Amino acid sequence: MNRRELLLGGASAMSFAAAAGFAGAVQAQAAREVVIGVIYPMSGASAQVGIDARHAFETALDIVNNDHALDLIGAKGAGLSALSGAKLRLVFADHQADPQKGRAEAERLITQEKVSAIIGCYQSSVSATVSAVTERYGVPFLCADSSSPSLQRRGMKFFFRPAAQDEMFSAAMFDFFDAQKAKGKKIDTVALFFEDTIFGVDSSNVQRKLATERGYKIAADVKYRTNSPSLTAEVQQLKSADPDVLMPSSYTTDAMLLVKTTAELGYKPKNLVAQASGFSEQVTYDAVGDKLRGAITRASFSLDLAAKRPFITTVNDMFKARSTRDFNDNSSRQFMGLLLLAEAINRAGTTDGAKVRDALAATDIPGTSTIMPWARVRYGADGQNPDASPVLLQYVEGKFVTIFPTDVAIAGAIWPMNG
Amino acid sequence: MTAQALAQVLASGLLMGLIYALIAVGLSLIFGLMDVVNFAHGEFLMTAMYVAFGLVFLTSLDPILVMPIVVAVLFGVGAVVYLGVVRFAMRAKANQGMVQIFATFGLATLLQGAAQYFLTPDYRSIGNSWLGGKTLELGGVFLPLPQIFGGLVSIAAFGGLYLLMSRTDFGKALEATREDQGAVALVGIDRNRVFTLGWGLGAALVGLAGAVLAIFYYIHPQVGATFGLIAYVTVALGGFGSVFGALVAGIIVGFVEALTAAILPPAMKSLGIYMLYLGVVFVRPSGLFGKL
Repeated sequence: MNRRELLLGGASAMSFAAAAGFAGAVQAQAAREVVIGVIYPMSGASAQVGIDARHAFETALDIVNNDHALDLIGAKGAGLSALSGAKLRLVFADHQADPQKGRAEAERLITQEKVSAIIGCYQSSVSATVSAVTERYGVPFLCADSSSPSLQRRGMKFFFRPAAQDEMFSAAMFDFFDAQKAKGKKIDTVALFFEDTIFGVDSSNVQRKLATERGYKIAADVKYRTNSPSLTAEVQQLKSADPDVLMPSSYTTDAMLLVKTTAELGYKPKNLVAQASGFSEQVTYDAVGDKLRGAITRASFSLDLAAKRPFITTVNDMFKARSTRDFNDNSSRQFMGLLLLAEAINRAGTTDGAKVRDALAATDIPGTSTIMPWARVRYGADGQNPDASPVLLQYVEGKFVTIFPTDVAIAGAIWPMNG
Repeated sequence: MTAQALAQVLASGLLMGLIYALIAVGLSLIFGLMDVVNFAHGEFLMTAMYVAFGLVFLTSLDPILVMPIVVAVLFGVGAVVYLGVVRFAMRAKANQGMVQIFATFGLATLLQGAAQYFLTPDYRSIGNSWLGGKTLELGGVFLPLPQIFGGLVSIAAFGGLYLLMSRTDFGKALEATREDQGAVALVGIDRNRVFTLGWGLGAALVGLAGAVLAIFYYIHPQVGATFGLIAYVTVALGGFGSVFGALVAGIIVGFVEALTAAILPPAMKSLGIYMLYLGVVFVRPSGLFGKL
């Protein structure tokens, strides 16, 4: 190829590219797309959460963008009907569990990718910084799965959380303890065991307050450093306190190490009631499930519910085809979060931030149109859904069984956990 | 704190400390040999844990039996890293120190990324093994068998290393090369060969540590960061380049960490280690046994 040929080739390639770009622009005008930013830990110690989240969001995307005959919001019809069938497009960003990276990614998504809304972020510490950015730019933030109560206490107008937060989850735990006590079981002392970022700290603050109010003695109150190489000294404290209930708030790495260390130090917790997170991840049970028989975790979701709402099985199968695992506490909330966001954008009929915000604020959807055990979806002035009723699940014979509240329970609790 | 609880803290500290020492010694060895800080050291550990996991997964043998293979594989990894990366980084005409830092740091990022891409960031752990989950109880003090085993392996490795350094020609060549790189070339020792073997040996030692850790710790692409940082502190405390400083420093770090966690709120347990580190940097920058 001589220089002239090269020039000619280059010129024709460029004109092709220009033509293609032009065609793309024309197409984009015909069927508009709505861009949503998704900020999750895609690398770093909690990367698996981000990858599962991606599968959950892509399942939800499939539900919205294609026609599905399910009694689930967003399923019927392809795309967003009120925006002349516009399709959703997701832009994924990685925050590596770092609040500052999350903040930077949120700014990039808003200013460069021109997203209409952002959904995220798993770690409460990251949701805190990301929601501060979205608030400043007037872009709605749907907090799918961060559970710190303090997130909703900052007077934000663009923050929405359909799922329960740790006050509601912890209240359910203590309601359950009260019910067990009423049945004559012994629960006098609890031990708090929590990681040192906003999730663990907020969770423990609520649990400490509830324990004091309801007359449970706190036998141990252990804040530990997340991703520690060893938890021996920490578990030693739990062991010498030997509480009636051990209440961990831990991400996956620490949850696995905690369970391994309790076994190594010969400590068998009488009961374990976990603030989900690491304790709702299948990998934890794959690794140390034999030591977690009878463990209880709070959850926003339970596959049991599929008996009442058959479409849950359908969407779970769709998710499983992508991720090779069942919906869990986290992925179910992520999936539902995107559907709720899409529903609000469709109802707003526009991608204008303020109007979508108003549509979100006006949301009122019966729980039966979701995959969750929630009573309703609506948002208070603080953006929190007050009707996101949590459930407690117990790990029995290799799977989770709903044990509380009694109206949705399918079995009584095994208490103490080791029978 | 009761006497029993204190005994438990000290025993746990000692066992973890021996493992920290084993993780750190390879780093110290490589630094002593050629003044290169390997920022991919934690990733070598991660690689070793994945190799152990993969071998156990494929062969269904006990992790203890696959240890020699892990060590051999990591020896190869270390040698290849020297020949393929570090050798070239050392040829930099300007700012050689920086080039080495960025080369090994880049390697760390590459290894992490590759592990996440090819092996997924899922947490793995070796389920059933001879030692896994078993514990020895001595008068109320619990000593997990995998960690006792790790401690013994560490002591044996340091013993072997001592013999290697003092009794073999290779050890003498290693010692001579670290003393004076130019002089050894004059007496006919191939500097490149010694460096290759040195990197292999350093990586093999961290491979041994990884094989031990894989028995009782979860495995994922970022696991190196958890231990890597402690390895740097250990090496700085023991003295950069001092192999036996690493042993003493590892044990000190283990004790300090366990005691801090027992006395202060456990969330601050790294505080003790880093205070110690700061203290060393201010008071004795060469470390306990360093010859800098």
